[in-house]
Amino acid sequence: MTQMDMLSVDDLVREIAKALVDAPEAVEVETVSREENTVLRLRVAPQDVGKVIGKQGRTARSVRTILGAVSMKMHHRYTLDILEEED
Amino acid sequence: MPLANLQQAAQQVANFLNNVIRLGGLRLKYRISASALPADSLIDDSEAQVLNVEIAGPDAPMLTQRGGELLRSLEHIALQILRLDPREHDLVSFDALNFKALRAQEIQMAAETAANKVRESGQPYAFPPSNSRERRMLHLAFKDMEDVESHSLGEGQERYLVVYPKGKTHLPAPTPTMPSRGGYGDRGGRGGFRRR
Repeated sequence: MTQMDMLSVDDLVREIAKALVDAPEAVEVETVSREENTVLRLRVAPQDVGKVIGKQGRTARSVRTILGAVSMKMHHRYTLDILEEED
Repeated sequence: MPLANLQQAAQQVANFLNNVIRLGGLRLKYRISASALPADSLIDDSEAQVLNVEIAGPDAPMLTQRGGELLRSLEHIALQILRLDPREHDLVSFDALNFKALRAQEIQMAAETAANKVRESGQPYAFPPSNSRERRMLHLAFKDMEDVESHSLGEGQERYLVVYPKGKTHLPAPTPTMPSRGGYGDRGGRGGFRRR
């Protein structure tokens, strides 16, 4: 895996999230790299959390399926965490 | 309102797929076209157009593995990006390697096998949980059969279809078979034909 791949996968999640939400300016993706995997921590505006999770979690599951395919191509595991603001 | 601006919707889907291809490193290409709504659609709008997204390329087999999980995921995200209501999901259709037509054939065969089981046993038969599109395809297949009828039971992800002998929906429905990731095709659904 190269640094380039890592940057592009976090951009992929960022771009998908921006297209799904009403407040794209609030979308943030933080990358937590470990040796064996990379966790992409997605934060969106509180009113958009439901849009990235979807009914019965289907949207989040779809994004994870896409990440699964990308992980296979890049021989490195990417996982998605959706952060819910506690306030 | 269904896809008021088809051109704009196609552009949004293209942007999404370009990101998946460019940033995700998947070797795929796609073609987006518009067509009239299929006759079996529940959408009551003769003017409505469907966006068809045909995906090909060296990585296309990844899309159709595991019962088309990745293909469905891309389609689902596209529907969400377009803000389509679940009742309008027929307005976007993703396909790769003729997956949907092959799936339709599998579903037709699974329906015939299940109908035979119900005729032979006189008891209801439960399918594993499936999505609304596949349940509808099954319902349509059973609609053409005079001696059985089908109903959906359960909620959400667990919703499944039960086939009853005609007029015997009072019979207790069996618990659905646990879903296999591959869906009907991999579940041995065709096994019933061996008994013929």
